[in-house]
Amino acid sequence: MAVFQIALVNELEKLYKKKKALAAVILSLAVIILGQLGVLGVRTGFGIRGAGNIAFPMLVLSVVVNTILPLFTALVTIDSFSGEFAQNTMRITLTRPASRFKIFMAKITAITLFILTILVLLLILSLIAGFLFNVSSATASDVLKTVLAYAVSILPQFILALGIVLIANLFKSGVSVFFISILGFLGFKVLGLVFSQYASLLPTTQLDWYTLWISNTFPLLKILRQFLLMVGYAIMLLTAGFYFFDKKEF
Amino acid sequence: MDKEKVIEIQNLTKRYPNGRGIEDINLEIFKGDIFGFLGPNGAGKTTAMKIMTGLIRPNRGDVKIFGTSVMEEYEKAMASVGCIIEMAESYPYLTAYENLRQFARYSSQVSRQRIEEVLELTGMLKFKDEKPKKFSLGMKQRLGLAAAILTHPKVVILDEPLNGLDVEGMIDIRNLIKHLAENEQTTFFISSHLIHDVELTCDRVGVIYNGRMLNVESTENILRNYATLENYFVSEVERNGRIPNCAG
Repeated sequence: MAVFQIALVNELEKLYKKKKALAAVILSLAVIILGQLGVLGVRTGFGIRGAGNIAFPMLVLSVVVNTILPLFTALVTIDSFSGEFAQNTMRITLTRPASRFKIFMAKITAITLFILTILVLLLILSLIAGFLFNVSSATASDVLKTVLAYAVSILPQFILALGIVLIANLFKSGVSVFFISILGFLGFKVLGLVFSQYASLLPTTQLDWYTLWISNTFPLLKILRQFLLMVGYAIMLLTAGFYFFDKKEF
Repeated sequence: MDKEKVIEIQNLTKRYPNGRGIEDINLEIFKGDIFGFLGPNGAGKTTAMKIMTGLIRPNRGDVKIFGTSVMEEYEKAMASVGCIIEMAESYPYLTAYENLRQFARYSSQVSRQRIEEVLELTGMLKFKDEKPKKFSLGMKQRLGLAAAILTHPKVVILDEPLNGLDVEGMIDIRNLIKHLAENEQTTFFISSHLIHDVELTCDRVGVIYNGRMLNVESTENILRNYATLENYFVSEVERNGRIPNCAG
């Protein structure tokens, strides 16, 4: 466990020191500011309410889970694997007294913590912006639902990261991994539209699974089905990703 | 008194799809040895060293460090190893100090003072807050060496450690290696194409050619029979020049 913790601290330090993590934080802030400006513009220009104080964080979440969050996840994941393969710095990481499995898990945990940080940041900032600029009443239950929606959104993003980890261990170039990931993402989105009856099986549809958690009639069975599907994806992608990472020669 | 066996390489074989690789390498390195691994380009030196550090897996054979298999118990085997393989790499977005701190975390014995001490030993202390992306090849090599010896490893595996170093740097590093071998009983496994430097640094020499180990001899014995290590190397390679390639 101590070795894993050291590997994780090292991965977090590397992530923190890279410009990409900072860019992600700045872009998250920009999303909140632009979103809030948009809501204010709609309200003053057209007299339409736009989004209330508690609706604003949900509006932000609905946008980011399908756009900038998968993008950040892809960039950070590719950097952590393909970037280190290309710069040969993976050799430094791997020649430490830590097994490949611990290194692999440390990298994935660092990526997950990054996603979590961005989600927490977005939640706090969007809640503050919502309360500052959109004055209307909000109950504690509304706030709790919002927090829940943000919290459960980490799981599909984690699955997405595992998918990109697998691709990063299959292809050499980071650019190829990025484009294959984007094409795969768009492909799944199109498949979800064309075969809408099977859409719930696709990992891209599961990005919106937080909507199940906040609906008025709590669909327990649907949530359980989606959860088990995602666990299945996670097990398969994690196993396949590690298999190729472990076989890799440097 | 018998010296303690530190590295044990048994029947090590690795074949690449292009037919190159190593075949049936057997070697024993003892405590305090400075072992020079000599061979022409493509002979299999780096392949052997990559297997020794777990970066690639062999088709057959094993490497044991202090009796622990690198293939089976990687963490335990590598706990006492420092290394540079092919090039001294460093994270370009971390400073020299931060790069070493990444290594230091794996050992409870490494303090801030120790990091500064190895930076001083390798002549890098004044650059400790700079990022390696601006470093010359020689500076990167010095930083790599600092990382390799940081945790007081009992075994140091160095692939072309003098790459990019100026004369002063070569002398510094040679003296550092000799000092650690004599005073801390550190065992070194060094590959280098700088044959004169191997002659001055190493006390045992192994020659690898076409993926096969030709001979292992002490530098003292070699120099008793040959004027220079270069003469011995050329003679060994010529004598065995007709050995077929390991895949042949």
